[in-house]
Amino acid sequence: MSVLAWVSVAVFLGAYALIATEKIHRVAAALGGAGIMLAIHATDAEAAFFSEHAGIDWNVVFLLLGMMVIVGVLKETGVFEYLAIWAAKKARGRPFRLMVLLVLITAGASALLDNVTTVLLIAPVTFLVCERLALPVAPFLIAEAMASNIGGAATLVGDPPNIIIASRANLSFNDFLVHMAPMVIGLMVVFVGLCWLMFGRSFSYDPERAAQIMALDEREAIADRRLLWQSLAVLALVMAAFVLHPVLHYEPSVVAILGAGILVAATKVTTEQAIAEVEWPTLVFFAGLFVMVGALVETGVIGQLSQAAVDATAGQLELTTMGLLGASAGLSAIVDNIPYVATMSPIVEQLVQANGGNETAQVLWWSLAFGADLGGNATAVGAAANVVVLGIAARNRTPISFWQFTKYGLIVTVVTVTLVAPYLWLRYLM
Amino acid sequence: MRARDLLADFPVVGLDSPVIDAARLLAEQDLPGLIVVDHDGSPLAILPGTEVLALAVPAYCQDDPALARVVDEAHADGFLRALSGRTVRECLPPRPRELRELPVADPDATVLELAALMARTHSPLVAVLEQGRLAGVVTLQALLERALAG
Repeated sequence: MSVLAWVSVAVFLGAYALIATEKIHRVAAALGGAGIMLAIHATDAEAAFFSEHAGIDWNVVFLLLGMMVIVGVLKETGVFEYLAIWAAKKARGRPFRLMVLLVLITAGASALLDNVTTVLLIAPVTFLVCERLALPVAPFLIAEAMASNIGGAATLVGDPPNIIIASRANLSFNDFLVHMAPMVIGLMVVFVGLCWLMFGRSFSYDPERAAQIMALDEREAIADRRLLWQSLAVLALVMAAFVLHPVLHYEPSVVAILGAGILVAATKVTTEQAIAEVEWPTLVFFAGLFVMVGALVETGVIGQLSQAAVDATAGQLELTTMGLLGASAGLSAIVDNIPYVATMSPIVEQLVQANGGNETAQVLWWSLAFGADLGGNATAVGAAANVVVLGIAARNRTPISFWQFTKYGLIVTVVTVTLVAPYLWLRYLM
Repeated sequence: MRARDLLADFPVVGLDSPVIDAARLLAEQDLPGLIVVDHDGSPLAILPGTEVLALAVPAYCQDDPALARVVDEAHADGFLRALSGRTVRECLPPRPRELRELPVADPDATVLELAALMARTHSPLVAVLEQGRLAGVVTLQALLERALAG
């Protein structure tokens, strides 16, 4: 490798370490890394802004942007609070039933929305319900964070790693529905069982408290019915357009942006409000990451790594799949899974090509997606949703410690990843 | 006219006072806000009445306004009871207060300085410090009365 290639590796690892240790803001780390890559000519504006393989993936950026606007409007309508309180009443205050319903709502919602938004919406209402029932809130919050990570794996838009994988691998929304969603449903069934073993057995039921739950009025949560129906209609349209990609030929990014546009044009939501819902730092973080990874592509580092990976695993698709699953889960438990997947995607692309590039070889993409999405559950810092839940718990004076989360997280990750291995094996490799 | 000409005595609360007592003080004496002092009497936080209230409102209702709406009247009426002996220290938000500018002035501050400080910090009272010690406060009402009279 050239000197420039080695320097670019050093810059990349330095930025990665800063992102992982949170010594400085992750946006500063990603943009700083990208800036140095451009300054030392490891990459250039042409590649950074216009290259499909070595530049900013605008499909990812605009898909996130559009979904942020849609979700931002939807979350103001109170629909999630409505659902959660409705669930608490349906559970008649029985603690484990309540946990199952909340976990299923969280998983379902995070398949359509991003995980962080989902837990931000479900956590406050969980506090209210648990306070009423005099139940410890920590088990519920931990279970919800994990459910959002598992549920998010089901669809293309559920978890940012999936968005990156879809764009790099040219996989459609339906590909995710066909290859990821069935297993995610299975994993959720197992997860509910784990919740019983980890938490459910220790809950006690208090009929007097349970009666108080019935006094909550979920209909009051809906502030603006008209806006609720409008935004649900837009969300349904967007999902339909994702699914109808083979007929309509709109890329997911185009669908999301059009959906956001319709929402602003057809409802009382103003442009200013829509723009305020966008998490610009996240989008800039993605852009910085793509430029950094692009520099590694330009300097040939990714090419060499891919070649080494292809040589090391030559012809052994089974072993590669399992190795990738395990390594992805392990690494995503420690570092943010977004930069991990951004870096691994060009390497996995080469591996898929080397294994024939057909549907069987695509098992590597599913292995990467499952590993990265499920690995996030392992530790309190493994996924953004976990970090957010710990933050909310601390602010509500019921702090959850790193190890309190991690001891359950490790169990759930080991069980779910272990179940994914035979799924991938039986479905793609037999 | 300077801050020292507008000074008034002002009740303070300590970090270990119950929040419920702080709320009672505010209501009974018709105060615009409260000053929280540490054990040697220097002000730690200057809380407008609405922020004293924020100490008592469950965090989940502040995070999510929809949740305040779903609570039934009987429970809503009793939201202060849920405080059950919590102290000011337990209810003060953990960190951000140090980052924010405190509405604190010295005795030489002019009326315009005080008014600008109140407007900037959204605080209806300014603590006046003399050599680090609390000398008294200037309230919004006192300030406006004197400014209008002038």
